[in-house]
Amino acid sequence: MIVFHQLLAAIAKETRLLVRDWHALVVLFVMPVMFVTIMSLALRDSFGERAGVTFNVLIVDQDGKLVGEKLRAAFTKDKHFRVELATAPFPDATRVEALLTAGRHKFALLIPARATVQARQRAFEKVNTGGRERGNTTPVGVQLRADPTLRADHRSMVVAYTNGSLRAIESQLIAERIAELARTPFGTSAVSAPKLAAPQLFAEVGDPLDAAGAHQTPYPTSVQQNAPGWTLLAMFFLAIPLSVTIIKERTQGSLLRLQSMPVPTWVLFGGKIAPYLVINQLQLALILTVGVWGLPLLGGERLTIGDAPGAIVLLSVCASFAAIGFALLIATFARTPEQATTFSATTVMVLAALGGIMVPKMIMPPAMQQLAELTPFSWGLDGFLDIFIRGGGVHEVLPEAGRLLAFGVACFVLAIARFNRQWRHN
Amino acid sequence: MNSAPLIEITGLTKVYRGAQRPALDDLSLDIRRGAFFGLLGPNGAGKSTLLSVLCGLLPPTHGTVRTQGMDVRTQARRIKSILGLVPQDLALYPTLTARENLVFFGRMQGISSARLKTRIDACLAIARLEEFADRRVETYSGGLKRRLNLAIGLIHEPQLLILDEPTVGIDPQSRNFIHAGLQTLHRAGMTILYSTHYMEEAENLCDDIAIIDHGKILAHGSVPELLRAHRAGSIVAQLETDLPDAVAQQLRALPPVRSGRFAARSFEIESDTPDAALIAVTEVLRGARLPLVSLSLGAMNLEQVFLTLTGTRLRD
Repeated sequence: MIVFHQLLAAIAKETRLLVRDWHALVVLFVMPVMFVTIMSLALRDSFGERAGVTFNVLIVDQDGKLVGEKLRAAFTKDKHFRVELATAPFPDATRVEALLTAGRHKFALLIPARATVQARQRAFEKVNTGGRERGNTTPVGVQLRADPTLRADHRSMVVAYTNGSLRAIESQLIAERIAELARTPFGTSAVSAPKLAAPQLFAEVGDPLDAAGAHQTPYPTSVQQNAPGWTLLAMFFLAIPLSVTIIKERTQGSLLRLQSMPVPTWVLFGGKIAPYLVINQLQLALILTVGVWGLPLLGGERLTIGDAPGAIVLLSVCASFAAIGFALLIATFARTPEQATTFSATTVMVLAALGGIMVPKMIMPPAMQQLAELTPFSWGLDGFLDIFIRGGGVHEVLPEAGRLLAFGVACFVLAIARFNRQWRHN
Repeated sequence: MNSAPLIEITGLTKVYRGAQRPALDDLSLDIRRGAFFGLLGPNGAGKSTLLSVLCGLLPPTHGTVRTQGMDVRTQARRIKSILGLVPQDLALYPTLTARENLVFFGRMQGISSARLKTRIDACLAIARLEEFADRRVETYSGGLKRRLNLAIGLIHEPQLLILDEPTVGIDPQSRNFIHAGLQTLHRAGMTILYSTHYMEEAENLCDDIAIIDHGKILAHGSVPELLRAHRAGSIVAQLETDLPDAVAQQLRALPPVRSGRFAARSFEIESDTPDAALIAVTEVLRGARLPLVSLSLGAMNLEQVFLTLTGTRLRD
């Protein structure tokens, strides 16, 4: 009970200190709003230009024979694709959709079992009948699925590439069959080349989003990328005032006095979480307001925020906790306010750059994309994009929220351990 | 008055990681309940380390420290609840008012809501801060801040009040006011441990004094006891330059000299015939061409005792 009162008193004190430093508060709110507004407007027309795009493609090859091999080879050799092969047990369509929605892959190519056998049977029929449809065989249904956030032109490009690859396989199978017939006593008299111009061994692959029945959500606009991105940056920028506050307490002797009192360290640090958590939520609310209502007034695009406010709150609270934990950890490394300011700003900017805040992850080289996945900024941004663009809810953002929360807890525990250790040795 | 020790320190050693020498070196000391105890020592002597160990902020490397029978290693939390620390730095939140500072630190001490208001009023009265209670601390003068610094240390009515140079940098009026307040608290039975550089303060306030240097207690006793131990018969000299070992040997060998204590630039000589010793010492120093800063015979004040024991060499 005493600890609870101590925690409340620490929260009240921290809130008073924050409210009375209104200069810092103004900066904390004005800075992200300015960033979002300027970046969204400045990049409105050029944000989608993504030279050197690389797509992660999941190939679910249940065929394992010629058709599967040829398609795998076609995607592997092209530098625009990074292929990952699904292994048995193969994911079903629902699982594939989940993987795409989670952003792990941009496309998925589903090659059905017995595709090669089916294609050969159809080649046999088409060649033998001179291209006529007898109805004994059906075209092989290779399917392409896509991340709902992908732009239509990128989808079209991959659709065309897939159909081109299928046509090449088709030609090979038809040629094989003709060669077989040529070796028979009847020769090639049954084959009429012009009628085989479109033998249709494979069903035409269409727009993956139409095929999947997904909603036609556009790719992230500049405001959809920038609003959550710069909000996360603003949240993590709390590391500066928060770490400086702790260092001032240390240099002014308040922490020494508090350490001489029967109060646990976690209460001292815990008292700082609540007020900064509230500030983070207000930052997000302000930025969303500007994105939804303010930017359209300035000629920018309207921010779409999905229809899962619970998921936004969950993700935002977890991101805030990660940011505050990070700030507390920074405070235990810095010895002066100058060090804390420089160290906080540098590490936050580096992490933000790595995490895809300044440069979207999808235009990063593959190695950088993998590195980006390790940063809390990337988790937060992916989570917000899940909600804003992919129509995700609480369930969909749980992985990102969990990672952010775990990061925050780890930082918090490390900060307390380091703080206590410093007291014992200084 | 209960004379049982409130604090019992036995064989206390504290070695910081990577340090060449221990900050506290096999130090033993008792502080009786109700004492106004002065801790004197030059910079780097080990005073702050000793106070930190007593407050449970630093663990001892060796030895035991007991406060009211409780071991600082295992019962630090309970010890913290009966002591009040007034740090040398102004451990205050400048953008809060005095009352808000008192509320916060009172809560941190675990004081209940019902009792807190009474305690705040009492502490404001002790520090005579009533009319400034709702003003932000950043608007206070240095003296007012020092008074609030003291008031916060008293918020939970500690049995033991530890003050680390609480009057540094304030005007004589505020200093006198704080002294008077501390004497009142002492008369009411509070044990006070007072670390200071000001000898006059220690001489006027403290009934028990320890002089510490290089992590060891050099002298311990009441002010009269310390002065008596270094009084008539003693010749105390302070030099402008270092005392060569050869000259120190020469002084030690003088017939009137019974014993001597030599530091880098000072020495203290005991003699049964101080007048003869004084003449002999003067001649040796003149012969060695060692310029004197001061030379005294007979009773000393606390500052002379302090300088004799700790030397006059400047400390970092």
